[in-house]
Amino acid sequence: MTKSIDPRLADESKPEEIRRRARELAEDLPQLAKIALEAMIRDHNPDYKGTANKAGRAGMQSGNVSELTAIAKVKPGGADRLRRIFDLTNGNMDGAQRVSTLHDMRFVFFDDDTQILFATTYDGDWDTYINDFATKIPGLMDLLFANIEGWPGIDSPEVKDFIADHQIDASGWFVANPQVTVVDTRRYQRMEHALEDFLEKSRANADMDPATRQALDELSTAIAQPEGVDY
Amino acid sequence: MGILQELSARFRPDKVKLQLDDIQALILRSRPEPYVGIHSMIHVDEAAGGRDLLRRLADHIPAASGWTDELDSWTGVAISYDGLKALGLPETSLGSFPLAFQQGMAARAEQLRDLGENAPETWEDPYRPGTCHIALTIYARDDDALDGVLAKAEAELEKSTGITLIGTHRFGADEDAKNPFGFRDSISQPLVDGSGVDPLPGQERAIAPGEFILGEDSETGSPLAMPQPEPLGRNGSYIVLRKYQSRVGAFNDFLRGQSADEAEQDYIAAKMFGRWQSGAPLPLAPERDDPELGADPQRNNDFSYEDDHRGLVCPHAAHMRRLNPRDSQLTILSDVNIHRIIRRSSTYGPKWSRDVTSEVDAQEDRGLFFIFISARAFDTIEFLQQEWINRGNFVDLGEERDPVVGLHQTPGTFTIPETPVRRKIDGVTTFNRLRGGEYMFMPSLTALRWIGDGAWEEGASP
Repeated sequence: MTKSIDPRLADESKPEEIRRRARELAEDLPQLAKIALEAMIRDHNPDYKGTANKAGRAGMQSGNVSELTAIAKVKPGGADRLRRIFDLTNGNMDGAQRVSTLHDMRFVFFDDDTQILFATTYDGDWDTYINDFATKIPGLMDLLFANIEGWPGIDSPEVKDFIADHQIDASGWFVANPQVTVVDTRRYQRMEHALEDFLEKSRANADMDPATRQALDELSTAIAQPEGVDY
Repeated sequence: MGILQELSARFRPDKVKLQLDDIQALILRSRPEPYVGIHSMIHVDEAAGGRDLLRRLADHIPAASGWTDELDSWTGVAISYDGLKALGLPETSLGSFPLAFQQGMAARAEQLRDLGENAPETWEDPYRPGTCHIALTIYARDDDALDGVLAKAEAELEKSTGITLIGTHRFGADEDAKNPFGFRDSISQPLVDGSGVDPLPGQERAIAPGEFILGEDSETGSPLAMPQPEPLGRNGSYIVLRKYQSRVGAFNDFLRGQSADEAEQDYIAAKMFGRWQSGAPLPLAPERDDPELGADPQRNNDFSYEDDHRGLVCPHAAHMRRLNPRDSQLTILSDVNIHRIIRRSSTYGPKWSRDVTSEVDAQEDRGLFFIFISARAFDTIEFLQQEWINRGNFVDLGEERDPVVGLHQTPGTFTIPETPVRRKIDGVTTFNRLRGGEYMFMPSLTALRWIGDGAWEEGASP
């Protein structure tokens, strides 16, 4: 049992601490047991399976998807400069879109605009493509991060250390589709449109042979009836 | 005309912008065809003995200044992080190397996806962490030349104290220069800008020299991080060494199981490699092998994927297209010019034949040393292993892996685009199993002497 680092619990005596933990556990237990039981009895489809790995040097990884959470000091005036960039681009950043491993990015200012929380969900390990960013979109990377105190520049040999030093591992993190990458999602969307087109053409084909008819019927059974989302 | 004569004819001294007289020749000198050679590994027991060896060795390592010349033999040397430590380098220098190099290849197993039967716990003894300190590779024109230089090397080793020879491995291939699966290999090589040679047809533009030589400008426009101090880092490079055992029998059996006849076996194998056995690339020889094309360095690499977006000629999943996508449309923002490698691989074991079956694989006597040089060698191999080899996301193929060098912990698939519907082959297994490897530093000639002299120590001879 590790001692809490919460300063509000600094004066707690050992017996008090034990009583508090026992009480908390008793309160949480019924719900925890239910969650654990459900996880055990469910026969998991590997398509939905998450994991609790490390995303390379820092951050958590679930299946193919990883999280990066970082807190850093903002240079004086940096928050306003960044807000102007976000306003101008409406949050839509060309270059960031072409990266195609980014599910989302979030920039949150706090402590009177002196600090920033940066949080993103992305595919794979965090530093895999960082060298590619440094040669393909150095301008965008530096535009976004030059307002952070100490940012060494995307092409600096120190940039990986800088990011890792500011990262905080998430303690809890949930991913709905841990096996699905951004690239997969785009392919599924393309497939959806192409499939609709294909089904329309198939419907119009009156001279279908029995094997094709059978294959189409199986396809419809697989995709054309509502199914609850199981995590 | 052989590769080296051919290079010599294209060499223009006035185009040289690199300090060739300080760079190890092996970085720029291609393997000859046919080729023979030997890899050896040395453990440093005492710093003084190790440094003494390096000091004497430095005189036998040719510089790149004559890199297109005919030589009977040439030697390259590289040192692991544990080797640098054993040689007594100061902490300030040791700490200036890339983190992955400091950790060593075995400790990077997670980033390299070296899991299951490829995990470091299963590696051969010479590759156990902390064992290989100095790696020496000797290339020679033929066996006689190799024996001659080996006798000299053995005499030097006998004069040494404080070092242990851990092992040697002789390799070689005839003029067909074929890998264990019967395919001509190491055809495509990047051209280093400033090395004094114009590109071959299809070789694409020259790559910034800092991608291969420390201290020069890289593709970012500035140099990559370099070990300190400058005499140690400048004009050096990094090496990735990975020894693979090739399961030629399993590969043959797999092809037999998927095919009606030998022609179909050859077709599927060509789709997996991206080239036919002769080296003729699918984009230039879509229907059948063309040995004349395969052997012609002016033509065998002169292609792009511009007209093959669907992969009907060369599948996106083919080994050759995965590891150098050239102008292919990729799903993820990538810079193909920073993932190029100078390949110095060597094949060992019996030549390929169609009748080898999987029972033969138990002998573990065939395979290749996958060796490459790059100033970002460790980032590159980890990128390749994660993205281009053990995944398919970058070409919209989800979890599909490289059919030749991928790790398949459960049998995988291989997608061949065909009309009207793709062919998807099951049952791809690990045809090349990792037996060990290490991350190495390839010092300049100045650095070899700097280490040999212990130049950082007070009172060291200048």
